[in-house]
Amino acid sequence: MTTLADPKAERALGRRRWLGRLRGGPAGRPVWRQPITVVALVILGGWLLLALLADVLAPYDPLAQSADTYASPSGAHWFGTDSLGRDILSRVIHGARLSIPLALAIVSLALLVGGLLGLVAGYVGRFVDEALMRLTDLVFAFPQIILAMAVTAAFGPNTRNAVLALVIVSWPVYARVIRSAVLSMRGDDYLNAARLLGVGPIRALRRDVLPNSIGPAIVLATLELGNAVLLLAALSFLGLGPRPPAAEWGSMVALGAQDLSMWWVSVFPGLAILTVVMAFNVLGDALRDRLDPRYTKGR
Amino acid sequence: MSVSPRRLLAGASALATLAVLSVSACSAGGSGGNANGTAKTLTVNTSFVLKTLDPGRVYEATGLTAVHALYDTLLTFKGSDVGKPVPALAESYQASPDAKTFTFKLRQGVTFADGSPLTADDVVFSLNRLKNIKGSPAVTVSGLTVTKTDDSTVVVASATPDPNIPVVLSMPSTAVLNSKVAKEHGARDGADAAQGDTAQQYLDTTSVGSGPYVLKSYDPSSQVVLEANPKYWGTKPQFSRVVLRNMDVQTQKLTMQRAEAAEISLDISGKLLDGLPGSLQTSGVQDTVYFLFLNADPGVSAVTSNPKFNQALRAAIDYQGIAALYGKGAAPGAGLVAPAFPGALPAGEESKRDVAKAKALLTEAGLTNPTVKFTYPAITYKGVDLGTVATKVQGDAAEAGIKLELNPQPLTTFLDEMRGGKSPLGFTPQSLNYPVADSLINNMAPGQATALRSGWTVERADPAVVAAGKKVTATLDLAGRATAMQEWQRLMNASSPYLVLASNSSIVVATTDLTGADYTAAGWQVDVAAVGRK
Repeated sequence: MTTLADPKAERALGRRRWLGRLRGGPAGRPVWRQPITVVALVILGGWLLLALLADVLAPYDPLAQSADTYASPSGAHWFGTDSLGRDILSRVIHGARLSIPLALAIVSLALLVGGLLGLVAGYVGRFVDEALMRLTDLVFAFPQIILAMAVTAAFGPNTRNAVLALVIVSWPVYARVIRSAVLSMRGDDYLNAARLLGVGPIRALRRDVLPNSIGPAIVLATLELGNAVLLLAALSFLGLGPRPPAAEWGSMVALGAQDLSMWWVSVFPGLAILTVVMAFNVLGDALRDRLDPRYTKGR
Repeated sequence: MSVSPRRLLAGASALATLAVLSVSACSAGGSGGNANGTAKTLTVNTSFVLKTLDPGRVYEATGLTAVHALYDTLLTFKGSDVGKPVPALAESYQASPDAKTFTFKLRQGVTFADGSPLTADDVVFSLNRLKNIKGSPAVTVSGLTVTKTDDSTVVVASATPDPNIPVVLSMPSTAVLNSKVAKEHGARDGADAAQGDTAQQYLDTTSVGSGPYVLKSYDPSSQVVLEANPKYWGTKPQFSRVVLRNMDVQTQKLTMQRAEAAEISLDISGKLLDGLPGSLQTSGVQDTVYFLFLNADPGVSAVTSNPKFNQALRAAIDYQGIAALYGKGAAPGAGLVAPAFPGALPAGEESKRDVAKAKALLTEAGLTNPTVKFTYPAITYKGVDLGTVATKVQGDAAEAGIKLELNPQPLTTFLDEMRGGKSPLGFTPQSLNYPVADSLINNMAPGQATALRSGWTVERADPAVVAAGKKVTATLDLAGRATAMQEWQRLMNASSPYLVLASNSSIVVATTDLTGADYTAAGWQVDVAAVGRK
C-alpha cells in the first residue's frame, strides 16, 4: 500500500487509521453506541459536571466544620457528616475537582515525557535506545505504589509531589509503546523517501512518525486514567497526597477507616473512586477493542 | 465488548481499602478457647512496641509490661496508684532530710527463679549495670551512686537532692538481676560496661530475675510467653501462663468483641472504645497530654513569637470540641501535667474558648489575617488521628481570623524538624516515661532542651515562670512539690509557648471474669501478675 512517491498521502492515511476505527467502519458499531460504554460516558460526564459546578451543586462548604459530628445520612446531610461535622456529600463533590483534573494532569505529563523519550529511543536507536530502555526497566522493577510512596516521602507530601511521583512511575509504559510503534515503521519506505527528499530528523519525527504511533498511546492513556485516580487516592489514603483539609477521596476514605462503625464516612468517597475508576477502565477497554487489531476478532 | 481480567482487578482494587475490614475480620478468628473459666492462660493483646527484654535496656511499652512480670524492683506501685511507691524487694527504706541519701532494707529469703538467694550484691550490680551500659533508661539513674553496707542493706546516694528516687527505683529498668548468671553471659557493671556488656542477646531469651513469672519464649514480632515462677517469694499469680500477642488495634477490637474469658487488650482507646460490648470492663487514666508549641524566636516567626498572638490562639481554640474528638476518657486541656500524675491542675481549670477576645487580641497585636505553617506528625496515637485534631484546630483558628496551613509530616521528619527548632507552630502528644511530672521542668522550662527547640530562652521568658520552675525543684517534700508544680503550670498557661489542647486516657480493656486488670501510668501498663479471676 505504500507509495514511494507520496509520503504526504501515506501520513494522512496513518492518521486516519485510528480515528477511523473509532467511528466503527466495517468492523462494527462506533464505540459510543455500545451500552456499557454509554454508561461509562454518562458517569464520567456526570462527574465532570459535578466538578465544574461544585460551588453551585454542593449544599455546604466542604471545609466548614460544625458541631454536628458523625451525623448519619439524612435529609439535611444526604451522605452524613464526618468527625469534624463536615458535609460528606459536599466533600465528595468537591473531591471530583481534585481527583479528575489531577488524574488528567498525571496522564498527560506521563504521555508527554514517555512519548518524547519513546520517539527518541525508537528513532535514534543504538545506545540512546539502550540507555532509555534500561531506565524504563529500572522503573518497572518496582511496584508502582511503592516507588510513588518513596518519591513523595522523599520530596515531602503535597499535591505537586504526588503528581510528580505518579508521573515518574507511569511514563515508561508510554515510552515503551511509542518506541515499539516507531521501531515497526523505521524501515518503512515513506520514511526513507522523506529522508531522500531532505526531510530532517526532527521534522520527520513530528510530521511522519508521531502521528502514526500516537494511537496506541492514547488508548493506553485512557486506560491509565483510572489507574491514576486510584494511585492518587492510595497515596492520599496513606497521607502522602494533597494536604488536609483538602476534600480528597483517598484521604476521606482513610479518615472513615479509623472507625468503620460510621460507615458513611468512608463508603461514599469509596464509591466515588469506584465509579470513576470503573468508568475510565470501561472506556479505555472500548477504545482498545476498537483500535487494537488483536482484540477485534469475533466481533 | 471484553473487559480484561487485569482491568477488572485494577477496578476492584478501588475497594481494597474497604476489603481491609474483612481481611482483619478473618484473622481475628481463632482466639478464645478460655471459655470454660478454668483455663490457666491469660492472653494479652497489644500492638508490640518491643526491642528487648534486657532490663538495663528496656524502654518500650511492651518490653516494660513483660520485664515488670519477670523481675522485681526495690519498690513498686500497686494497681493504678502512682502516688506512692510500696515495698517490693526492699521491705522498708529511709530518706535523709536533704533527699540525697536513701537506705533500703532488703527483704529476707527472696530467691531467684533458679533457687539462688538474692543479695545486696545483686542489687548493686544491677543498678550499676543500668547506669554504666548507658542504654535508653540509664538517664533516670545517671546521678546515682549505689553501695551496700551489709548483705541486706543498700544505700543509694544522689549528687543533687531528689525526692523522686523511690519512684525511679520502682521502674522496671531498675530490676534486680541474678548477677552470677548474668555475668556468666556477658553482663558487666563497670564504668566501661557500655562497651563490655554483651548480655542483651541472652537476656532477650532468658529471664534471670526473681519476679512472679519466667520467660518461656520470646519472638518480638509475634508473641512473648511467660510462665509462673514456681520459686516466687510473694503471692503466686493466678494464671500460670501469660501470652502477650502482637496484634494491630483494629484486630484487637474485633477480638475483644468475641472474647469470652481471660483476655485483655492494651491499645483500644479513644473513638475505638465506641461499639465495644458492655460485657467488657475498662480501666484507664488520663496520662497523655496533647499540646501545641509556638516558636518564641522572632527570627523564626514574627507572628508566633508575638505574645498577643500566643494569647489570641489560646482564646480561639474550642477545647471542649477537641476533647470530644478523642472520645471517652478525654478532657479539655488544663496543664502540661496529665491528670494521672501528682501535680496536675484540678478539673475546672481547663482553658476556655473566647473568639471575641481572640479577635481583639489580634487587633491589639496589629496582625490582620496572620498565616502560620502548622506542622504535626501524620500518625494515629492511642486511637486518635492527629490530622483530625489539627484540622479542628485549623477550623477554630480560622473563626478568629488566624490562618493555619497544615503541614503533616512522617514521624521521623517531624522529629527532625522539631529538633531543628525552625517550626513556627507544631503539635505533639506527650506521655511521661516514668510517673514523675517534675521531669517536665527539666525539659520545658525556659532555656531547657525542649524549650529551646521552640526558641524559648530565659531572656524571652517571664521571670515569674523561671522562678516558679526553680521553686518546684527546690521543694523537697512530695506534697509541696505537687503544689509548686500546679503554680508553675498556671504561669506556663499564661505565657509559655505551650498550649495544652486536651488530655487523653490509656485504657486496659478486659473480659469481665478478670480482676486486677487495672491500667497504670507507672510504665508497665498493667501488672499481669496481679490479674486474677473472680
